[in-house]
Amino acid sequence: MSEFSSLTEAVIKGDIQTAVAETQSALDAGSNVQDILDKGLIAAMDEVGEKFSTGQMFVPQMLRSAKTMQECMKLIKALFQEGQLSAKGKVVIGTVRQDLHDIGKNLVAMMMEGAGFSITDLGVDVSPKDFTQKAQEVGADIVAMSALLSTTMPAMRETIEALQEAGIRDKVKVMIGGAPVTENFASEIKADSYAPDAGSAVIAAKKLLGIT
Amino acid sequence: MPMRLPPYRSLSPEDVRKIDQTSRRILERVGIRILEQNYLDILKAAGAIIDQGDQKVRFEAAWLDEVLARAPSQFVLYSRDGKNDVHLGEEMVHFANGGRVFRILDMGTGGYRLTMLRDVAHTATLVNQLENISLYIIACQAHDLKPQYYHLNDFYHALNFTSKHVMGGCDDAEGVKQMWELAQLIAGGEEELREKPFVSVISNPISPLTIDANTLKILNICGTSGIPVTCAPAPISGATAPATLAGTLCQMHAEALAGVAITQVCAPGAKVLYGAVPSTMDMRHMEYTMGSVEMAIMNGAAVQLAKLYDFPIYASGGVTEAKRPDIQSGCEKTFSNLMVAMNGADLIHLAAGMLDSGNSISYEQYVIDNEIIGMINRILSGISVNESTLGFDVIEKVGPGGNYVMEDHTIEHMKEEFFYPDLGVRCNFDIWEERGRPSMLSRANDLVDEILDDGREGLLDTDLILEIKKKFSGIQNL
Repeated sequence: MSEFSSLTEAVIKGDIQTAVAETQSALDAGSNVQDILDKGLIAAMDEVGEKFSTGQMFVPQMLRSAKTMQECMKLIKALFQEGQLSAKGKVVIGTVRQDLHDIGKNLVAMMMEGAGFSITDLGVDVSPKDFTQKAQEVGADIVAMSALLSTTMPAMRETIEALQEAGIRDKVKVMIGGAPVTENFASEIKADSYAPDAGSAVIAAKKLLGIT
Repeated sequence: MPMRLPPYRSLSPEDVRKIDQTSRRILERVGIRILEQNYLDILKAAGAIIDQGDQKVRFEAAWLDEVLARAPSQFVLYSRDGKNDVHLGEEMVHFANGGRVFRILDMGTGGYRLTMLRDVAHTATLVNQLENISLYIIACQAHDLKPQYYHLNDFYHALNFTSKHVMGGCDDAEGVKQMWELAQLIAGGEEELREKPFVSVISNPISPLTIDANTLKILNICGTSGIPVTCAPAPISGATAPATLAGTLCQMHAEALAGVAITQVCAPGAKVLYGAVPSTMDMRHMEYTMGSVEMAIMNGAAVQLAKLYDFPIYASGGVTEAKRPDIQSGCEKTFSNLMVAMNGADLIHLAAGMLDSGNSISYEQYVIDNEIIGMINRILSGISVNESTLGFDVIEKVGPGGNYVMEDHTIEHMKEEFFYPDLGVRCNFDIWEERGRPSMLSRANDLVDEILDDGREGLLDTDLILEIKKKFSGIQNL
């Protein structure tokens, strides 16, 4: 039994309040910060991943655990030196212009956040200009676009063109997804990656940025 | 699965009454042919009317009521470990596989072959694992056995691979005796077994309106020994019963009541299930059809007829003419299992594994039917409406434009609120392609392999197996 077993348990349960309190008391007791991260939080998320893959945990529970971990991270982040601990990558995400459907986009955002990405969610009906401006502003590594309607898919191409015109196309990777979107469409509009569902989106994003 | 409400009825109360009255008229005026002098004598002594010349027994209404009143309205088909006891007469719907087929669609070869003893063990293993099948019925004829050892071996291997209740068709009283002695040894004594019988027997009259000597002996030995039994008529509309559904039901109800009555004459209070296996003929070419929609409606109606007398019913559903697990088998099975379940049958047999008009089985069909039954159970349990499920608080919290994915309310309810299929393919198109385009059948095949290719050991204790083999030399290894 690890010294962080109650922290681990709280993260697995997605109990934010208890997990944050446990993290704080570990810090107060002088525990090593790296240990809190490795043996407490990451160990918990490993178990969550295992339980998810065997069907014992469902997506909402996994997302809750990930959010719980994020909240705990806020307490310990400050104690790491610059560069020791950084977000996996910065993602600007949104549903494209004239499309108001967002549950799929939200799932991707939540899953990516849970996996350690820093997310800027622009919401729905996001114009190519807004995508581009925000990407420049935050120094995005990835621009992720969602569309549910085949009629709004062309906005994905326009957004990529806007990124090009702004001169940042080579600095960001573009990911797209949504029910009518296909691998073929992605290569046709020269997006860097396409993912069929939220879980695959996380894997694809890691692959794009060379993160394991 | 407990029913919230009986949401469907095949017959109006008035029509139930008309059919029942006609059945009683059949029993009083036409009678049942009894092919064994001894039982004609027994029934005569008990007060039934005997027509010696044509070996018929007739039941006068008041006498019939008095005899039928002896039958229990509730009893339990026990499992060996107490985890899957089947409570009859408590407004619960249970499903069982079907029995005594002779062919199997073997996905190992893709073709049909005759069934063997190992198929009994394998189907028992499947039923033991499949959560929506409440008890095991001896599934098939073991063609690698001598007929005199069928029942002994069937029950031995079934009991070794499932702890659920085991029901089986028996050809004769000798088979019942062997099976009952075997079960006593496993139970640890006759008293223990009588107290909680974990085996039971299926027998059938011959439609129209005939009961043969073997069936009479089986009903007698089961009744007097305390073995739960059913005498289930299988009239075929258009062939061995009138070509009207109402007429078939009148005859079937008369036959079923006669089965209950005769068992109660032999052993008052005997645990007997009202039996029903009505089906139809396709009159175009006289093809026997068990998967017809009329079969579904009639079995639903049979539940109403049994419940008029408060008898637990052994009804039928889930049969098909299809020769493979396919579109036809899927829709025919679903229609009848759902319809009979919605009428509130205590036990629906044939509900899993069957193909080819009840002549064949397939392992894959067992697991597919388990999933169909899971969906039916979800329908039966209905929509739960209470303060928490109405969800005002969470709707207020999320408000317009948000989502419910990570809410406590979602996590609290998501597991019991929805049916989660094991076989139904729900992944999106790309994932489906990535996974090699799975189908319900391919996934069923994978699941069967997983359940059966596990080097699964038998459940009976090694010392007990030695004792059983010493006592019953007819038992064969797989």
